[in-house]
Amino acid sequence: MAASVVTWAGLAAFGRACGSIRSRLLGSSSTLSQVSCLHTSTELNSKHWERKNLVVYPPQQKDELRRPAEIYHCRRQIKYSKDKMWYLAKLIRGMTIDQALTQLEFNDKKGAKIIKEVILEAQDMAVRNHNVEYKSNLYIAESFSGKGKYLKRIRYHGRGMFGIMDKVHCHYFVKLVEGVPPKVEQKTGFDQAKEYVEQLRNRTIIHSL
Amino acid sequence: MATSICRTLKYLQPTICLNIKPVFVPIRTKKRYFIPPAVNVKQKSQSEQETKARAAGVVVRQQYIERAINISCTAGIFDPYIPPEGDARLSTLSKEGLKQRTEQLRQSAASQLAFRKIKDHDNEFSTKEFPALAQQIFIDAHAALTQFNKEKLHSLVTERCYPEMVRGNRYKTLRWRFIESLEPPRVVHARCPDMISKGNLYGQVTLRVHSRQTLAIYDRFGRLMLGDEDEPRDVLEYLVLERHLVNPYGRWRLHGKIVPAWAPPKDPIIKTVIIPGPTLKPEEAFEDLHYQVPKPKAVQWYK
Repeated sequence: MAASVVTWAGLAAFGRACGSIRSRLLGSSSTLSQVSCLHTSTELNSKHWERKNLVVYPPQQKDELRRPAEIYHCRRQIKYSKDKMWYLAKLIRGMTIDQALTQLEFNDKKGAKIIKEVILEAQDMAVRNHNVEYKSNLYIAESFSGKGKYLKRIRYHGRGMFGIMDKVHCHYFVKLVEGVPPKVEQKTGFDQAKEYVEQLRNRTIIHSL
Repeated sequence: MATSICRTLKYLQPTICLNIKPVFVPIRTKKRYFIPPAVNVKQKSQSEQETKARAAGVVVRQQYIERAINISCTAGIFDPYIPPEGDARLSTLSKEGLKQRTEQLRQSAASQLAFRKIKDHDNEFSTKEFPALAQQIFIDAHAALTQFNKEKLHSLVTERCYPEMVRGNRYKTLRWRFIESLEPPRVVHARCPDMISKGNLYGQVTLRVHSRQTLAIYDRFGRLMLGDEDEPRDVLEYLVLERHLVNPYGRWRLHGKIVPAWAPPKDPIIKTVIIPGPTLKPEEAFEDLHYQVPKPKAVQWYK
């Protein structure tokens, strides 16, 4: 949403159209949320990310599997684009914490330095406050970016035209979990083709003689 | 559409009122474009902002920079009781033990004075009945800590002791059980310090408690951090209870614990912890330094 050349009349019409579309969308989404009220990840739970660290679980019995520690951390209003931040967040998803830190250290983007600071802070918090034993025994379970509050400025064009420039900000969220990262099964093309052929072979005609 | 209305107004006005000069109404008054509000704002200094606020009639309330002082309890334990070495243990009479015994005799005289002062203010105090009461306060306080019942805890524990009991425990689960008392608790020490002004008396009484307890601390995720729920341990403690004697609504509350210098070291927590070591220069190696982990001095401290 960078600067766009706009005429005065057109902008008013655009604003009115946007408002109507937004109200229509809100109406439809509210009905949808009423229907599927359980487990909706609205805005990917970004508003209450800090509160997730305050959840206390009841003590475990001796025969239960040891529950892995989960640490939630975020940084708000980073002066960076959320789309550019997404690339870095996607890069480190599923990596161990040491691997993620190495990758971010040698990445040339501006957001890499910020994400590295956030992850180091989260690691320190984990060891101090959340009873994590080994600081390297963590992996990145969730990592994503969200839109922050934008500031608006005028971008001057020729012939008295102007555009509204957005000064973009983003939030960055990360969830560290104790333990070894789960192995993601890489499906080869050959496996997918085999599955497809099996599906084709399993077709039958129902209600036949 | 908007422009046509404005133009008609312009034409109507001269016809309606002939004596008054025609007023020129600007035609295009509707705001048609959006200017971000931050564009026209001039950077104001603090004094300019203040003058503008005062002119507008905005009143900022006077900010009181205050620090709350609590007068219902003292800030520490005055003239702490020095427990004799080898208490409840098979001991060899050491030189430190004899020194402590002589100090104890000196302290007991002051304790008797303190008891008399306490009895002046509080009629129901007696050295025979107080220990049972105090032990009940101790058990109730720790039970409230387990349930984290803030109001009850504040009534059983002084404001000095409360943060020490509660710090770091908010997101942890505590399981504590008082199984039995091995020896009847007895009062060993008392002092009556007066704070700030002369008549403002506080009474501090030290109680020796030998009991069997179990403690288990679980962290936020329900994993065991310290202790064992099924293993009872023998515990020898010196509890300090305090009461604001001059206050008629004062109550005997737990004020702190005295940990003697000869107390055995506590159990380590279940996880491994890094102890920060010396910073190495590039040419040094850690093994060559022969670094000794510093051990804490055996000093009496009170919690």
